[in-house]
Amino acid sequence: MEQNYDFSKIGKQMPYTVPDGFFDQLEERVMKEWKEDAIPAGESGKTKKSGKATVVRMALRAAIAIAACIALFLVVKKVLPQGDNTVTDDFDSVELAFNNLSTDDQDYLLEVYQEELILDNDLNNLNDLNNEESI
Amino acid sequence: MTDDNQIISQIRENTEKGFRLLMAKYKEPVYWHIRRLVVSHTDAQDATQDTFLRIFRSFSQYSGEGSFRAWIFRIATNEALRLLGRNQGKATLSLDEAPLVALTMVADSYFDFGNTEAIKLQKAITALPAKQQLAFNLHYYDEMSYREIAEATGSTEATVKVNYHFAKEKIIKYMNSNDT
Repeated sequence: MEQNYDFSKIGKQMPYTVPDGFFDQLEERVMKEWKEDAIPAGESGKTKKSGKATVVRMALRAAIAIAACIALFLVVKKVLPQGDNTVTDDFDSVELAFNNLSTDDQDYLLEVYQEELILDNDLNNLNDLNNEESI
Repeated sequence: MTDDNQIISQIRENTEKGFRLLMAKYKEPVYWHIRRLVVSHTDAQDATQDTFLRIFRSFSQYSGEGSFRAWIFRIATNEALRLLGRNQGKATLSLDEAPLVALTMVADSYFDFGNTEAIKLQKAITALPAKQQLAFNLHYYDEMSYREIAEATGSTEATVKVNYHFAKEKIIKYMNSNDT
């Protein structure tokens, strides 16, 4: 068997190919994703955060905001007298609880409230439950 | 071609412009390096994208010591190993693995089945243990010095030389055989 092989016959040829325009598209995709990831300074006044840390922070804030709302709602509900206008009182108590949150938490809660059907349903269920109790 | 030091300075002055220079110089070499390891175009595309995003995000961690190209190829290699690991249900693959991917597994649209000699060479390369494969690819295709390869693979220059030597011997043996 031969001990040598003439690599110059084949050089750097490979059987691999790429779609037309692939490298330009790759560059644009990477730059787009990087720009989306890096929050431009001055736009929101916030510093850049890593993806995982942001998700954890947002989840924590959401949990705190929801817990605060429910706690305040229950406290106010116990303190305030129950009457025919319970539904209005419930809304007032939620509003009071909501007003006690920081602006950031309010913004976040509104965003979640608008986007999350589960939370939306939970709040409706809470109101239904309250109506049943007042009957 | 822009010098690596110019790219580094540009990134520090104007990040986006610097990253574009970096991509202009390295998008093809990094893609082909990863493609030779993972074989499939789709996998190579994903790992290349992840490589550049990781380079951009961790640029501040590049100390400036050692070769910038070796640092980039080290990240690219890690991303390729991570992707191959994910495909096998693991977090990543180690360089101590036996061959990473067998070329016989290929069912890729972006593959030139007519270039039999090139296919045979890639079969020989992908049949090598991971360290030998890397040493051969980086020296033969990317024309890296043994020292740079050692930096890129977290090895020593002597080990890289030995791995390259073994790789070349095995490839020559395979290319001269009747196997296809």
